[in-house]
Amino acid sequence: MAGLTRTAGAFAVTPHKISVCILLQLYAPSAQMSLPFPFSSISQHNRLGLYLLSLTKSCDDIFEPKLEDLINQLREVGEDMDAWLTDHLTNRFSSLTSPDDLLNFFNDMRGILGSLDSGAAQDDQIILDPNSNLGMFVRRCILAFNLLSFEGVCHLFTSIEVYCREAHSSSAQYDESNDNLESLIQHDQMDMEKYIMDKATEEIELQKNASGRVPFHLHTPEALFKVTEGLLVTRKEKSRTNTKKAEATQLACASSSTVDDTLVDESLFLRTNYQIQGFLMEQADAIETHGSSLSSSSIESFLQKLQNLAPELHRVHFLRYLNKLHSDDYFAALENLLRYFDYSAGTEGFDLVLPSTGCSMYGRYEIALLCLGMMHFRFGHPNLALEVLTEAVRVSQQHSNDTCLAYTLAAMSNLLSEMGIASTTSVLGSSYSPVTSTASLLSVQQRVYILLKESLRRADTLKLRRLVASNHLAMAKFELMHVQRPLLSFGPKASVRHKTCPVSVCKEIRLGAHLLSDFSAESSTMTIDGSLSSVWLKDLQKPWGQPVFSQESGSRKSSTFFQFCDHLVSIPGSVSQIIGASYLLRATSWELYGSAPMARMNTLVYAALFGDSSSSSDAELAYLKLIQHLALYKGYKDAFAALKIAEEKFLTVSKSKILLLKLQLLHEHALHRGNLKLAQRMCNELGGLASTTMGVDMELKVEASLREARTLLAAKQYSQAANVAHSLFCTCHKFNLQIEKASVLLLLAEIHKKSGNAVLGLPYALASISFCQSFNLDLLKASATLTLAELWLGLGSNHAKRALDLLHGAFPMILGHGGLELRARAYIFEANCYLSDPSFSVSTDSDTVLDSLRQASEELQALEYHELAAEAFYLMAMVYDKVGQLEEREEAATLFKMHITALENPQDEEPNMA
Amino acid sequence: MVSKESCRNEIRAAIRQLSDRCLYSAAKWAGEQLVGIEQDPSNFTPSNTRFQRGSSSIRRRFSTISTPQPSAGFSQPPATPLPQEEDEVIDGDLYLLAKSYFDCREYRRASHVLRDQMSNKSLFLRCYALYLAGEKRKEEEMIELEGPLGKSDAINRELVSLERELSALKRTGAIDSFGLYLYGVVLKEKGNETLARASLVESVNSYPWNWSAWSELQSLCTSIEILNSLNLNSHWMKEFFLGSAYQELRMHSESLAKYEYLQGIFSFSNYIQAQTAKAQYSLREFDQVEIMFEDLLRNDPYRVEDMDLYSNVLYAKEACAALSYLAHKVFLTDKYRPESCCIVGNYYSLKGQHEKAVMYFRRALKLNKKYLSAWTLMGHEYVEMKNTSAAVDAYRRAVDVNPCDYRAWYGLGQAYEMMGMPFYALHYFRKSIFFLPNDSRLWIAMAKCYQSEQLHMLEEAIKCYKRAVNCGDTEGIALNQLAKLHQKLGRNEEAAFYFEKDLERMDAEGLEGPNMFEALVFLATHLKTNKKFDEAEVYCTRLLDYSGPEKEKAKSLLRGIRMAQTDFPSMDMEHFPL
Repeated sequence: MAGLTRTAGAFAVTPHKISVCILLQLYAPSAQMSLPFPFSSISQHNRLGLYLLSLTKSCDDIFEPKLEDLINQLREVGEDMDAWLTDHLTNRFSSLTSPDDLLNFFNDMRGILGSLDSGAAQDDQIILDPNSNLGMFVRRCILAFNLLSFEGVCHLFTSIEVYCREAHSSSAQYDESNDNLESLIQHDQMDMEKYIMDKATEEIELQKNASGRVPFHLHTPEALFKVTEGLLVTRKEKSRTNTKKAEATQLACASSSTVDDTLVDESLFLRTNYQIQGFLMEQADAIETHGSSLSSSSIESFLQKLQNLAPELHRVHFLRYLNKLHSDDYFAALENLLRYFDYSAGTEGFDLVLPSTGCSMYGRYEIALLCLGMMHFRFGHPNLALEVLTEAVRVSQQHSNDTCLAYTLAAMSNLLSEMGIASTTSVLGSSYSPVTSTASLLSVQQRVYILLKESLRRADTLKLRRLVASNHLAMAKFELMHVQRPLLSFGPKASVRHKTCPVSVCKEIRLGAHLLSDFSAESSTMTIDGSLSSVWLKDLQKPWGQPVFSQESGSRKSSTFFQFCDHLVSIPGSVSQIIGASYLLRATSWELYGSAPMARMNTLVYAALFGDSSSSSDAELAYLKLIQHLALYKGYKDAFAALKIAEEKFLTVSKSKILLLKLQLLHEHALHRGNLKLAQRMCNELGGLASTTMGVDMELKVEASLREARTLLAAKQYSQAANVAHSLFCTCHKFNLQIEKASVLLLLAEIHKKSGNAVLGLPYALASISFCQSFNLDLLKASATLTLAELWLGLGSNHAKRALDLLHGAFPMILGHGGLELRARAYIFEANCYLSDPSFSVSTDSDTVLDSLRQASEELQALEYHELAAEAFYLMAMVYDKVGQLEEREEAATLFKMHITALENPQDEEPNMA
Repeated sequence: MVSKESCRNEIRAAIRQLSDRCLYSAAKWAGEQLVGIEQDPSNFTPSNTRFQRGSSSIRRRFSTISTPQPSAGFSQPPATPLPQEEDEVIDGDLYLLAKSYFDCREYRRASHVLRDQMSNKSLFLRCYALYLAGEKRKEEEMIELEGPLGKSDAINRELVSLERELSALKRTGAIDSFGLYLYGVVLKEKGNETLARASLVESVNSYPWNWSAWSELQSLCTSIEILNSLNLNSHWMKEFFLGSAYQELRMHSESLAKYEYLQGIFSFSNYIQAQTAKAQYSLREFDQVEIMFEDLLRNDPYRVEDMDLYSNVLYAKEACAALSYLAHKVFLTDKYRPESCCIVGNYYSLKGQHEKAVMYFRRALKLNKKYLSAWTLMGHEYVEMKNTSAAVDAYRRAVDVNPCDYRAWYGLGQAYEMMGMPFYALHYFRKSIFFLPNDSRLWIAMAKCYQSEQLHMLEEAIKCYKRAVNCGDTEGIALNQLAKLHQKLGRNEEAAFYFEKDLERMDAEGLEGPNMFEALVFLATHLKTNKKFDEAEVYCTRLLDYSGPEKEKAKSLLRGIRMAQTDFPSMDMEHFPL
C-alpha cells in the first residue's frame, strides 16, 4: 500500500503509458518475439521512433490522450502501415484479459531493453539503450508497475478496460462513416479551434476595469496584476509562449469534456502533484491574460471536479479566486482567497520561491494580506485596500519577509498613484516607521515616491528582477507625471524650482527594460514540468495534424526538433508583458512631451510585438492611443470607425477606458460641430464616471471640468467658463497636479482671448508657457505660444509683426507634431497676421495667404470644425475679392455659408454615435 | 394528540417491518421510542413508573418485550395505514437466506440470492444490499487510491445501475416507500438534491416510521425555506423530524418546544432527552445539561452517542474527575467511535496535554472526516500549542464541513489576531457574529480587535462593546472597557456612566478587584471636579475600606473635597509640599 501511494506521487502507470509501451515493443521488438518487421523503410521506422520520443516526452502532462486520439495520431504517422499498427495495438489490449497478463506484459517489456554492457546483441535486433530517453521511459514504467500492490494492479486493469471501451464505442461510430466524415470532423475541429482562437484574441483585449484618465493613459491595475502574478503565479518560471491561446482552447475543451462524462475520465487524474500544480499555474495564467473572456462557469465546473478529486490540492481555491476576481464576483472571490490561505498558510505553491525565508511555523499570511489588499483595490475599495496593505507591511516586517514587503510597498505605491487618497493621514497606520514618520506631512505623490524607492531598494537587494523592472516602470511613470522637488523641504523656504526631468524618465524606462537580458539566468533554474510538457504535446499535434504530410519528412523532423528546443529558451510571458508595458510607457511619455510620431511608433511596436502576450488592459490601452492619434491627425471619421472595431473587441465593461475614449471623442466632435447640448451631455457623462470620493480619480475629474470649461467657452459664456477654470486651477494646486495646471492656464488665456480681454489673457499665456518649459511639454508650449501670439494680435495690428515672429518660432513644432486643429489654427492665424500687417500687400503676395488658408480649410473640413472653417473660408473669400478672382470668391463664399449654417443648426445627425 | 396506545402499536409493527428489511438503525431508533412511551399506569404499580425526569433511574420500566404482544388486530391510524405484509410464503425461503447473508454483511451474496425475486420486499433488500456493497467497496477504494492530494475519485459504482432500476420502477409505480427511501439516498449521493428530497418526502408520507428516511431528508434541509416548502403529511413522526431539523438550523427554542410536546407521549425517551440536552447546550445552560446527561447515563450506561457533548459540558465546568470517568467508561464500551476519541481528547486538553489531545482528535477524524466538533476542538488545541497555521487549517476544515459553525469562525479570527493581523481577523469575527449575533463574547473579541494598537479604531470598538453589553455580557469586560475607552477619548460623562454601571454590576455580583478601585477612583475624581461633593465623598469612603495606594488617594481626595466645601481656595497639600 505504501508503495502504491509513493508511485502515485511520482510516476504512475496508466493505460496510455501501456499503449506507448506496446508501440515501443513494435519499434524495438525483442529477440524472442516473432513479429514480422513491418517497416518498409528506415525513414518510416525513424518516424515512428520520433513520434514515440515525443509521446514519452509529453507523458508528464496532465492530460493524457485517449486511445482514440492515439489511434488518430498513428494514422497520421504510420501512413500505409497505420492499420497494422492500430490493429496490433488494439489486439494487444484485448489480449490483456486478466491481471496476470499485465504482469507478463511488463516482464516482456524487459526484453526490449539492452543490457548495460550490451555485448550479446544480435545484429539485426534493435535494442533500446537503457539510458536513452525511450529506455528510461520503459524502465520507469516497469519500476512503477513493480511497485504496484495487487490492488493497484487491479485498478490499473479496470482503467485499461475503460480506456479500451471508450475507444471501441467511438471507433464503432467511426467505422460506419468513412474518411469523408473524418475530414468533416477534422474540419469541425479546426473550425471550432479557430473560433475559440478568434474569441480568445478578440477578448484578450477585453478591458479589465481600469479607471481611465485624460492625457496619460498609463495602464492601471495591470501593473499591479503583474506584481501579483509575479508574486503568486509566475515566480516559478514558466515558459509561456505564444501557445497561450491554444492553451485556453485546450482548457475550454478539457473542461467541457469533464462536464460531459463524469464517469469516464476518472483515469485522467491519476497524476502527480507536480503535474497538477504546473497545470493549474498555466490555467491561472490563462485567466489572468484573457480576463473575463474565458467562460467563468466552465472553469468553475472544472475546478469543482478537480477539487472533488484532490481535496488536498489547495491551489484550486486560489484559482477559483482568480476566476471569481475576473468575473467580478466580490463575495466569492473573497471567500476563496481566505480559504486558500487558511488551508495552505500561504506556503503551497510558494515553496520553491523562498527557501530561505520560510518560517513555516507562522505560515506566510502576509501574502494573504497582500493579495487581499490588491483584491480590494481591484474591486474599488481603496481605503480598505490601504488598510489591509498597511497590515501586510507590518506583518511582513514582523516575519522579516522582505520579498513580500517589497511587493507590498510596490502595490501600495501603485494604489496611491492610481487612486490617490485624500485623507491619507490616518490610513498609513502607525507601524511603518520610515514612511510614517513623515507620512502625515507628505502629499500623496511624495509618499508614492518614497514607497517606490523603498520597494525598489528591497527588490534590488533581493534580486527580484521582475519587481525591479516594474518598479522602474512605475518610477518612470511617476517621474513623467509628477514634478520633482526635494522630498523633505517644507515651509516658506521651499520655493524650489519645479521641473520634470525627461532624462530620468528615459533612464527608468531603460532600466526597466534591462529585465529582458536578466531573466534568462533566473529562469534556467526552474521550469515547470506541467507547463513544459503540455507544450510538447501541443507541438506533437501541430506537425502531425497537418493534412499534407508528404514524403519530405526529413526537413519536417528537423523543424519540429527546433520547435522543441525553442520552448526551452522562450521568453516568459510576464517578462514580455513588462517589456511591452515599457513600450506603452514610452508612447505615453512621447505623447506628453509632444512628439506624435514617436508616440505612434512606440504604440505600434507594442501592438506588433507584444500584442499576443499582452494582457487585455494593455492591449486596450494601445488601441486607445492609436484611436486618439487617428482622431487628432486624421479626423473623426477614421477615429470613429476604429473605435467601432475596438468596441467590438473590448466588451463594454463598467469602467472601460473605451467608454471614456468614446465620450472624449464625442465631446470633441460635438464641440467642433457646434452641437453644444450634446457636448454638455458628454461632458457630464464623463464627470459621472469618476468616483465621488474626495481626492480619488483626480485626473478624470480634472478632465471633466476642463471639458466643461471648454464647452462653456464655446457657448460664449465667458465668465462662467473662467469661474470653472479658476476653481479647476485651485483643485490642481491643492492636489499638486502640476502638469494639468499648465493646460488650465492655457485655457484661461484662451477664455480671455475669446472674450476680447487680450491684456488679461497675456499673463496666463506667459505663465502657461513657463510651466510648459519647465515640464518639457513641448507641444503644449507650442500651442500656448500660438495663443500668446493671438493675444498680441488682439492688442492691435501694430503687434502683428511680433505675433508673426512668435508664430514662426513655434511653427516647426506645430507642423511637425501638432494635430489637425492646432495646425489649422496656426495657418489661419498666420493669414490673419499677414492680412492685418499694414506692410503686407494682398495683391502682390496673395499666394502666401491663400496657401495657408487652403491648407487650413482642408484640415478643418476633415475635422468638421465649422467655426474655424467658416473663418478660413471667409478670409479666403476676402482675399479672392481683393485679388479679383470672383469665381473663386463665390466658391469660398458658398463654402463659408455652408459652414455657418451647419454651425448654427447643429442637427443631431449622429444618432449612430450617440 | 395521538393516543399512546396507538403510537405503541404503530411502532411495534414498524420495528418488525424495518428489521425485516434490514433497516437496523431505523429499527433501533423506533425501539428506543417504543420503550420511551409512558407505560399504561393500569398495567403497572405507580412505583414502577417514572413520572418525573431526574428521579432515580432504577425505576426504569420493564421492557415491553417481556410482555406478550398482541400479534394481530391492533388499531390502524386512519391517515397512514400500516402496509400489509406481503405473502411471505412465495419468496420466503430465499428471502430468509438473503437476510441472513445480509446480517453476516455478505451484501453481494444477499443481492445475488434475490436476483429473480419480484416482490417489493425482496426488491428492496436486493437493491439495498447492492448499495451497501458499493459503499463498502468505495471505502476500500478510497484507501487504496489515496494519493498525495487526498482522496481520489472513489465512487459507489452501484449507484448508476441502482438509479436506473429504481427510476424505472418509480415510473411504473411499482415501488414501495422503502424503495423510495433508497431511491432518495441514491439520488442524494449522486448530487441530485431536489429529486432526492421529493423522493424522500414521498417515502415518509407513505411510511412515516422509517427514521432513516427522515434523517436523510433532514440532512437535505439546509435552510428554513427548504424546510417550509416540504409538503409533509402530519404525523407524530413529523414532530421528531421538525425537532431535529430546527436544531440543525439553530432554531433552538423552536426545537425545544417540539421536544417538549413529544415528551408528552414519549416521556422516557432517551433520544428526546439527549436532543433536549443538545438544544440546551447550544443555549449554554450547562448546569441543566449536566443533570440531564447524568440522568441519561444512569438509564443507559453504555450509550456513546451524544456523549461528546456531555464531555464538552464537563470540560467547560472543568470537572476533571467526571470527565476522566466518562472517558474511561466510553472507552471500555467502544473505543473506535469518533465520540469516544473526542471525549479522551477533551480530557487531555483539560489536563493541558495538548499533543495527546490532538492525537485523539486526529483519531476521531480518521474515523469520521466530517466530524465537525473534532475539527474545531483540534483547532483550539493548536491555538493552545501556539501552532497557529495548523489551527487555522483545522478551523477552516470545520467551516468547510459546516459553514454555520460560529465557533470555528471565531477560532479563525482568534488565530489571526494572535498572529498580529487584526484587520484580517475582523472578517472572521464578523462571520462568526453573523451566525450568532447574541453572544457577547464574540462582540468583545471583535471590539478587542478594533482596540488593538495596530488598528486603534476606538469608535468601532465602542460600538462593539455596546453590542456586547446589550447581549448581556456575563464577564463584565464590556462595561469596564467602555468606561475606559470613553475616559481615553476624554468623554468623562460617558465614562462616569459606564463606570457607575460597572460598579453596580460588581456590587451585585459581590466582586472586588482592581477594576473596582479604578471605577471608584475615577468616579470620585470626576464627581469632585464636577462639584458633586456629596456623591464623591460616598465613593471616597468606599475606597477607604481598602488598603493600598487607593486608600491614600482617597484620603487626599477627601481632603480636597473638604477644602472645597469650606470654600477655601484650593490649597492642596500637594501644591504646597512643605
